Amino acid sequence: MDSEIYLDRDTFFHRLDPRTKIIILLVTFVIVLYYQNPLWILPISALVVVQGILADSLINLRRIRYIMLVLAVSGLIIWNLFAGGQTRLFWIFTVESLAYSLGRVLIMLTLITAGMIFMSTTRNEEFVIGMIRLGLPYRVGFAISTALRLVPTIVGSVFIIAQAQRSRGLDLDSGNLLERIRKYLPLLVPVFVSTIRNTNIFGMALEAKGFGAREQRTFYLDIKMQRADYWMLGLMLVMFVITTYLKIRGFGDIPGLIRF
Amino acid sequence: MEQPIISIKGLTYRYRGQKRNAIEHVSLDVMPGEFVAIMGASEAGKSTLAACINGLVPHFFRGKFSGEVRVCGKDTRTSRVAEMAEVAGMVFQDFEAQLFSTNVELEVAFGLENFNVPRDEIARRVDEALRFVGLENLKRRSPATLSGGQKQKLAIASVLAMYPKVLVMDEPTTDLDPISKAGVFEIANHLRQRDDLTLLVVEHETEEVLEAQKILLLDEGKPIRYAPAHEVLRDVDLLEQHGVMPLGVTKYFHRMGGNSDTPLTINDGIQRFREEQWQLSDSVYQSLQQQDRTRELRYGAPLIRCENLQFAYPNGTQALKGIDLEIRRGEMVAIVGQNGSGKTTLVKHFNGLLMPTGGQIWVDGRTTREQGVFELGHKVGYVFQNPDHQIFSNTVYDEVAFTLRLRKVDEKTIRQAVTEALEAVGLAGYENADPFSLTKSGRQRVAVASVLAAKPEILILDEPTTGLDYNEQRSMMNLVRRLNENGSTIIFVTHHMWVVAEYAHRVYVMKDGQIYLQGTAREVFSHDQELVDAYLRPPMHVTFANRLGKTLLTVDELIACTETTSRE
Repeated sequence: MDSEIYLDRDTFFHRLDPRTKIIILLVTFVIVLYYQNPLWILPISALVVVQGILADSLINLRRIRYIMLVLAVSGLIIWNLFAGGQTRLFWIFTVESLAYSLGRVLIMLTLITAGMIFMSTTRNEEFVIGMIRLGLPYRVGFAISTALRLVPTIVGSVFIIAQAQRSRGLDLDSGNLLERIRKYLPLLVPVFVSTIRNTNIFGMALEAKGFGAREQRTFYLDIKMQRADYWMLGLMLVMFVITTYLKIRGFGDIPGLIRF
Repeated sequence: MEQPIISIKGLTYRYRGQKRNAIEHVSLDVMPGEFVAIMGASEAGKSTLAACINGLVPHFFRGKFSGEVRVCGKDTRTSRVAEMAEVAGMVFQDFEAQLFSTNVELEVAFGLENFNVPRDEIARRVDEALRFVGLENLKRRSPATLSGGQKQKLAIASVLAMYPKVLVMDEPTTDLDPISKAGVFEIANHLRQRDDLTLLVVEHETEEVLEAQKILLLDEGKPIRYAPAHEVLRDVDLLEQHGVMPLGVTKYFHRMGGNSDTPLTINDGIQRFREEQWQLSDSVYQSLQQQDRTRELRYGAPLIRCENLQFAYPNGTQALKGIDLEIRRGEMVAIVGQNGSGKTTLVKHFNGLLMPTGGQIWVDGRTTREQGVFELGHKVGYVFQNPDHQIFSNTVYDEVAFTLRLRKVDEKTIRQAVTEALEAVGLAGYENADPFSLTKSGRQRVAVASVLAAKPEILILDEPTTGLDYNEQRSMMNLVRRLNENGSTIIFVTHHMWVVAEYAHRVYVMKDGQIYLQGTAREVFSHDQELVDAYLRPPMHVTFANRLGKTLLTVDELIACTETTSRE
């Protein structure tokens, strides 16, 4: 099964220094959270989508399209519980709360998309070395990358185990909620057992390759800031300054919104 | 005098919580440049001994360690594993779990990075190591996209790049198809010729250790024999007694009353056969062929039928490219082929886990799409390759009763079915045991029993013998054969060609998502060359018989067919 998220392409965004990509991600995360009004969030979302198209990475969103759909639909309803306004529509909905929900959903989808683009354009190792160059200790960086690496492995074994139990007659799609939860036991135990086993071998293989043998360590992957990186960073700075300024001036709110 | 590079003195080790020592009183000297194979049945302590060389025992595992292990003069007790890594490299059996980078080049560089080797030197060694194992064109590929054989070669390259003095390989080829196996061992042989590298290989197949200089035979942790390889390989009785399958040709000559000088290779065997002026009997051969035909007449109606069956994964990979086959009631069919040839994808169609994206498949007269996986589950039982992917209960009884309980069968019927199933797999009396406390072979049996209890007509086994030793493989397959004789239709996927030769009635050979060869086992094994093209290799004694003009599937058949008094 195809469980790796990174896409081996040669686009402008793939070629950027991982530090630049990390900063793009961080700035996106911060500025998208500035505003409540979906009309103000929309331009940022649009820019993220443009980034995704240029990075040829939106295809990865297809893997999680159902999750995104569920989040969007449930978000559109649930956020209404946390906000209200003057213009009542029906039940818990007001025009203001609906606009607020729309904004929240847009923020959520933008965050997911930005994260996905980052993972699609950045190798695990690049991410780690990027963070190390930004000041993170190597071991911490390595731990993060290992955790990320484990995800596809676990997904892969969940897939096989689900097939094994289905062929023994386990039907995960029927019964009420409580029954369904109990049905997941035959999945969880083997997943834990095989994950622990894999992690154990992984640990042995790491030690056998001299992990932590020396104080100093070479980083074979060399990263260098290119001119494009500085342009990108410049652009991010400009966007950050503008959006922050507008935020401080109080733009981007929803008039009449009351948050609970 | 030259100093031994590995020196083990009175080594005894017991894992915490275990009742017996994993290895006991092992003393051993290995000279620089030697190639030593460690052989023995399951639980013989082979892997434990391998883990002692680079210090994983005692540092990584918990347990009681006594004795001394020195590698290149370093005491493993006082050196960290990471320090030992500089002199002793290790390749593991599981080729998935030991790779951790996102491309081939970085994977090889990883060990060198840890030792703070300058970047230019890393680049040079990465190229050198990849060239050595023949992966130089795949530098930018992600290890996840490589075949099993390539992954294992990559694991070897990543260790070789560190220039170890000792290379330890723990069952490096167990999960590989025969030709990928041979590829890995070819690399081992190149390594053997380098006198700067000492090679220690844990292996349970004798055909792979012919090139070794010495063999250490272990049983239940105790050293049985440490002697030149050809001596140990010729001691057929000793190997069988300790759960190692002897070489087919050697066993044949031994059983024919061979002396101390029994042949170890096919060529030597042919030469000896001619010298002795033996013949293969035409009449016995014909009666064997006759037996094959009578067996075929006993089969019932077709149970599984595929017409131009195709399957493409969601990412577009075409795994099956038009399969036509028919399996009849009472058959015992083997499906073989290289890793990734589509075997498992094919059999997953038989119980409805996968639905075709083209063509059609009928099981018991109706398409699988009409029936769905749960209805098919009543007719078709599927034993997955790794028992740990399905076992979850606290007791063997609950595990075996799982399917029947899901089907809301009454507890009395369940009790009887479970008892029968456990009896069939030889686990009667283990009802209350914790399945996780059993050995791999025991867990495999629990998995088979849990499928048997539901009384399917068709039983599918994916790699039922992988990871088991010779005796366990034999008893597993004897069990499967008994089920077949009692009326079950059996379909099994395997890499073990001797299992196919000895147990399968009919064989489908798959290559690149298509059926490449099919027929009775005897017909298929007569096509030596085509099998090699499909990355398979007949067992040694079958090739030997083929070269003598007749396809004989077991050593027993070979003996029965041999006429020692040459006709005048």
